[in-house]
Amino acid sequence: MTLPSLRALVALWLLALACLPLTAQAHKLRESGVSVAVDDSPLTVTPSRDWNRLDGNIGKHTERWTIDGAQLNDVTFYAGIEPGKPLVRERSKKREPLPKFSTATLLVEVPELLETTYRTYKNSGSFKVTTIEPGQFLGREAVHFTYEFVDQDELTRQGEARAAIIAGRLYMISFEAPRLHYFEAVIAQFRKLADSATLP
Amino acid sequence: MSFRARGLALGALAFLLGSDLLGVGLSGVDLSRMAHAYAQPSPLPPYAGAYQPQGVDEIGLWQMMDEDERAIAQSPLVVRDEALNAYVRQVLCDTVGQHRCNSVRIYILQVPVFNATMAPNRTMRVFTGLLLRVRNEAELGAVLAHEFGHFESRHSLNKFKAARSGTDLLAWTAVLGSLAPRYQVARTYQNLQISVLGNLFRFGRDQEREADRLGVAYLNASQLRPQAAAQVWQNLMQEIDASALHRGLKKPRFDTIAFTASHPPEAERAGYLAELADPDGLRRDDGAQRYRATLAPWLGTFLDDQIKLNDFGASEYLIQSLAQEGWTAQLWHYRGELYRMRGNPRDLVNAAQFYGEAVALDAQMADAHRGLGLSLLKTGQPGAGQEALRQYLALKPDAPDARLIGMMIPNQGPGQ
Repeated sequence: MTLPSLRALVALWLLALACLPLTAQAHKLRESGVSVAVDDSPLTVTPSRDWNRLDGNIGKHTERWTIDGAQLNDVTFYAGIEPGKPLVRERSKKREPLPKFSTATLLVEVPELLETTYRTYKNSGSFKVTTIEPGQFLGREAVHFTYEFVDQDELTRQGEARAAIIAGRLYMISFEAPRLHYFEAVIAQFRKLADSATLP
Repeated sequence: MSFRARGLALGALAFLLGSDLLGVGLSGVDLSRMAHAYAQPSPLPPYAGAYQPQGVDEIGLWQMMDEDERAIAQSPLVVRDEALNAYVRQVLCDTVGQHRCNSVRIYILQVPVFNATMAPNRTMRVFTGLLLRVRNEAELGAVLAHEFGHFESRHSLNKFKAARSGTDLLAWTAVLGSLAPRYQVARTYQNLQISVLGNLFRFGRDQEREADRLGVAYLNASQLRPQAAAQVWQNLMQEIDASALHRGLKKPRFDTIAFTASHPPEAERAGYLAELADPDGLRRDDGAQRYRATLAPWLGTFLDDQIKLNDFGASEYLIQSLAQEGWTAQLWHYRGELYRMRGNPRDLVNAAQFYGEAVALDAQMADAHRGLGLSLLKTGQPGAGQEALRQYLALKPDAPDARLIGMMIPNQGPGQ
């Protein structure tokens, strides 16, 4: 066998290997009733049903959970975003900068921060914050808000989130699902999950 | 470098690279003759009427486009406002002529980028980012006529035939994507085909020039001012430069804007579009007043979409250029929003000033009072800030954030 054809064979073999589903990348099960720390932070939650923690972070201090897949129901934790940092990882700091959480950010501005992040990060053409209410999260004063947006897949999704600013860091938990069926189906589970969140 | 100098430099480069476009070799042809040959608008092709696709390629392409149109008709991104749709159609008809525009279906998509596309089955997609950027009917007509030029020359079909190998690649991506362990890969693949946004064909530069020449020919034959075509590119270049400057980039990325990605360098085209325009057309109306009046109910929405893109330079440029016709409370308000959202301490001081200008012009503008209040609170003026927020709640008691804002004002309490 000549050297070039051997090389081609190795390349093909590597490609085939890369395409195989790897068990090491599997998502983790979050079992009902077992308290877990989110992204190794002090924020802990106790789910009241089984959830899947998705592999792969969209940013520092974030974690995503789902039941049927992230496109159908997606819980995202933001466990202590530091001032000066964006909510999710920037694809390009220079060319596609994302809005940053800052020490001056007020609770009432957090929905706006999520909106501007989504409009840039997800190229969401339409995003509407529907309600903003005061509430409690992690035992502190917080903002509860709901929103609706159209993603690149042109499915209208509904979202609900709770956020609190504690010791200068932003803690937030959000739930998003297609408006049709999936939002209503899981929202009660999400609220239970959010209620169970604690921070020492 | 000035635009003119850059235009000359780019024009010279295009001349060196693109000699085959003009069908002549370089030898023995001087630049002035070349420029003259360039400066001929295309004669309008005879209108084909209810054209039907011919041959397997074209029939197949039309079937794909018809499928896309079914998807677009249900998309939540489509702006269904009757008056706005009728107006954009009218501008297209005024530009390319009534009999040509009759069979075109126009879909206005709420996407805040500068773009318009036209599919071979006569579906035209106009993005709201384009409506925000053009200043009058003639400029809008210029872009629509350019797209119509692609359609009438059937560029998509030529590109489709040439891109057969590209389609094979997509098919393989689908196979590999389905084998991939992460669903994210599969999703990336899905994003390659965006049915509603249209198959963004990358036309060749020759085709773009042909569409430009046709576009100006439509404008020359219309009642609108053909010089507007060059103006569109001048404005766009300035915006892209402003965006790059604020992001600290050395070279602006013209290819990040959908419409310019495949188009000849803007400076070059601004130059030749100006040459192609009928000089007598300079005295014609550009419909700026009608344009402003029709867009007025939508300006707030489009500006809101724009400033939330986190592109400070471009947004500031757009607001400034809209303000050339005079500052309004609305423009001051959105400028305030832009600065407050960037949120540097110096921005907050500016934001408070801009909101102040807005409420001075229109004391009933609730959202400007909100922005003013928040900016003042953040710059250490709680008394004045709370007073502004009180005004906001008085003007808009059922605002979505009324209870939370209420908690920020002492003695107001939630829900009062």
